[in-house]
Amino acid sequence: MVQTKKLRDGSRQIILNGKQYEGITKILAELATKTKASAILFADMSGQLISQRGNTENMNTTVLSALAASDFAATAEMAKLVGEEAKFKLLFHEGEKRNVYLSNVGDYFFLVVVFDVNVTLGLIRIYTKKAIQSLQEALEQESTEDISPKDMIDSDFSSLLGDALDETFK
Amino acid sequence: MFINWALQEINLKIVFYGPGMSGKTTNLEFIHSKLDPSLAGELVSLKTKEDRTIFFDFMQIEVGRIKGKKPKFNLYTVPGQVYYASSRKVILNGVDGLVFVADSQPHRMEANIETLLDLENNLKQDGQNLEEFPWVIQYNKRDLPGVESVETLQKRLNFFDVPYFEAIAVRGEGVFNTLKSIINNVVQHVQSQL
Repeated sequence: MVQTKKLRDGSRQIILNGKQYEGITKILAELATKTKASAILFADMSGQLISQRGNTENMNTTVLSALAASDFAATAEMAKLVGEEAKFKLLFHEGEKRNVYLSNVGDYFFLVVVFDVNVTLGLIRIYTKKAIQSLQEALEQESTEDISPKDMIDSDFSSLLGDALDETFK
Repeated sequence: MFINWALQEINLKIVFYGPGMSGKTTNLEFIHSKLDPSLAGELVSLKTKEDRTIFFDFMQIEVGRIKGKKPKFNLYTVPGQVYYASSRKVILNGVDGLVFVADSQPHRMEANIETLLDLENNLKQDGQNLEEFPWVIQYNKRDLPGVESVETLQKRLNFFDVPYFEAIAVRGEGVFNTLKSIINNVVQHVQSQL
């Protein structure tokens, strides 16, 4: 399972291991091939992009993820206002050339599929649904490596980061 | 905080919170204008026609690799106006650190306090609280005539004694110090809890 932890102050820490990341990227690649989608993004609900596939060179996917996460969060609030007790599971934006299909993957992640209007929505729906199941399975993968955020963010890291910030913000 | 172990990336979300027109977007605009384009991504602003933030501003910044790790900071602002309460709440999802941008003018004191209470209320709904959460205060608009003294602002707003900075965000004064402080604060905070 994805390592999620609530820290003492209530903030959330999510750690994705190498196997999970590999699995996710593979599933996105398969989904891109099967659906001929222009772009597929996998991101976390805070708006952080995790993995992407498709023709994303001319797309600012970092920003797209941030906007999509807010889109999700905003419709969750909308759901409450209209008396829907669960959150809306998927969002669909229809354009003249391109459509965007967003779907949550568990509570912490979501998938964005950008596709041309000549691809049918039904096809996207079917393959995306399958992909979401696989993604949930991939997120269950246990790590074979030793993951210790303690070693990642040690006191050395803090002080070096301080120096890097001084250098960057000169 | 989101860690991608395979890529050795550490992602942190920092939100600039504060009453309307206190200078949250101005902070981000200054940071964006000064950073090397290789380190700062595009600054996206969701604004009304009147140039007021309707949903949020967003920008990602990097500082390069540190001991092989790649820290990334996602900076967001919230809309300050009172009636965008739900938008503010939404942006706080997954937040790791906060900058409270206060307006130093006496007639904005009530707005500062009201927004601070709104912030605490929103954090509480997510099981967080201002007492333990990493945050800093920026007293902005110090160049305007007749601003409140820092002592008064401290007394009225800084009840948890968090780091504070005086700023004139339009000129960039105090902006980087504030940002540096919150980033260091968040990292130390995370470290102490691992």
